[in-house]
Amino acid sequence: MTVVSPRGSAGAAPLVSLRAVRKRFGSFTALHDVSADIDGRAIGLLGPNGAGKTTLIRVLLGLLAPDGGQALVLGHDVRVEPAAVRARVGYAMEGPDRIGGLSGLESVVYAGELCGLRRRAAILRAHEILDLVGLDDARMRPVEEYSTGMHQRVKLAMALVHDPDLLLLDEPTSGLDPESREELLDLIVRLRDGEGPAVILSTHLLHDVERTCDACVIMHQGQIRFSGPLAQLKAPSSRSFEVELDGDANAFAVALQQYGGVMAIGRRPGAWVVTLAVEDARTLWWAATTAGVRLYHVQRHEASLEEAFLSAVAASAGAA
Amino acid sequence: MKDEVCAIGYRRLPPRDARWAPWPIARTALALAFRKRSVKMAAALTVFVVFMHAIVVVGQVLVAEATSNDSGEVPISLGAAVVSQVIGKVHGTLSTFIGVQLHATALLLAVAAAGLIAEDRRTRAFELYFSRPLRPIDYAIGKALVPLLLSFATLVLPLLGLFGLALGIAPHVIADELWPLLLPGLLGAIACAAVLSATLLGASAVGERGRTVGVAFVLGLGALGGFANGMAESGVRWAGYLGPLRDVQTVMDALLQAGSPGIMAMLDLRESTNDSAWISAAVLAGISALGVLAVVLRLRKEVRG
Repeated sequence: MTVVSPRGSAGAAPLVSLRAVRKRFGSFTALHDVSADIDGRAIGLLGPNGAGKTTLIRVLLGLLAPDGGQALVLGHDVRVEPAAVRARVGYAMEGPDRIGGLSGLESVVYAGELCGLRRRAAILRAHEILDLVGLDDARMRPVEEYSTGMHQRVKLAMALVHDPDLLLLDEPTSGLDPESREELLDLIVRLRDGEGPAVILSTHLLHDVERTCDACVIMHQGQIRFSGPLAQLKAPSSRSFEVELDGDANAFAVALQQYGGVMAIGRRPGAWVVTLAVEDARTLWWAATTAGVRLYHVQRHEASLEEAFLSAVAASAGAA
Repeated sequence: MKDEVCAIGYRRLPPRDARWAPWPIARTALALAFRKRSVKMAAALTVFVVFMHAIVVVGQVLVAEATSNDSGEVPISLGAAVVSQVIGKVHGTLSTFIGVQLHATALLLAVAAAGLIAEDRRTRAFELYFSRPLRPIDYAIGKALVPLLLSFATLVLPLLGLFGLALGIAPHVIADELWPLLLPGLLGAIACAAVLSATLLGASAVGERGRTVGVAFVLGLGALGGFANGMAESGVRWAGYLGPLRDVQTVMDALLQAGSPGIMAMLDLRESTNDSAWISAAVLAGISALGVLAVVLRLRKEVRG
């Protein structure tokens, strides 16, 4: 499956290229022959808990050796050149991982030095990045005293300090209050739209992806179920319509069933979502005539990300 | 005051050369260690040990020189008995220094460096490290530099300093006889530093909390030494090889004997030693290798999953 998104110069290697990547932990298969080309400015890596998102990220960083297949990140093979990959990738992991005893500033400086910055350059860069992520006076305090939101900002700063070409964020809004979450998402959008690195956002929160990303990869049970632009995922279906009617809705639903259609409650009050068996909108009027109802609003239904996500997961599970 | 996100902008960095990765790891660990009061106190203890031995060395050399002048005449040369006495006492002091400072250094390493790898496990910092362009060998060297630098500063450098002090204040005829003590003492101090560093790092790689590792390290060293000496003196000679300090003393005496056979007769105080210097050296190397192996196995497990 290939994602086609506008980015950089023509002919440049995709951000991530996966070819039949496999990873097992004992009898449990975390990644089943995963293949995809992932490219763009901000890509959401979506999936429920246990889908294999974190495993895939760790494989991309070279922290886990895949049992088979090939993974290229920014043109580097993760098995052959893991250090080269990590030099160009910034990773903000899930959880309150920290190096004990350091302040926020010291943590970011240390991260910069580990990535090859000279100490003075690392200190200057750390202050810049901490200004960017919005950690002001608190940067001088030990990280053990930080709230969850501050931890997330420090981790993001540690991932950005060495100016990576690709930023991998693993559940960056986990544990944040709504206001902090929106601030972090705003920051990701600014990075995406400015000089910042490309972002792969791994999360199970659809809202975060919808807010920040222009493409997504959906994973489920160790496989990729969808890979492409968000617009393609949410594209209006030729068999799905949103209708508003005047009359007995139950009778209309029964009439639809005779033509193989199904009806569900829509997102807006008074609206219904009708899914037909065939791509023929005339079925709506046939069913309305049979039920004796009047249709006064009909439009193609654009699925929400949640609906599209569930549909992609269910469709592939059914095929499997 | 609530933090607010500021839109300052993102700046790209110019290309940069690769730098030696272990040094920031070592420097940061040392800086963190010396923020703790316990580390400062342990370091002060090692300085005190050096200071006391320096006083003893000075006293031994100066008293010997003063004794030779009690007649009131300026001696043309010091007698062989006086020379022998000074050499013996200085050797005894340097040997005692290594023994005492080994334990003081072990205490310092336990409070300063026991959590080097253990705490990284506990706080899941391995992912923070290895999501950077850092090789496992860089991490291992960076962590190893901490106990090595500390033990070098507390064992090797002070030994050189004490020797230099004795050499500097002793009359020429005594100074010439002191030189054979340098190499065995220096190698003994280096061996102590290497063994302490490797075993502490290995223990830290196995343990899960720095404090637990530190306590186990100090108690283990003391217990092992006591057991080795006690059993060896009771006739169970092979047990003597289990004591690291005893092994170091054995190797030092062997080097001294090999370098200056006649000097052994001058020695005033000789620590208890084992029968074979080769076996002692092999035991020291084996203990160190076990520590290194523990680190290697831990890194393989944490880095590649």
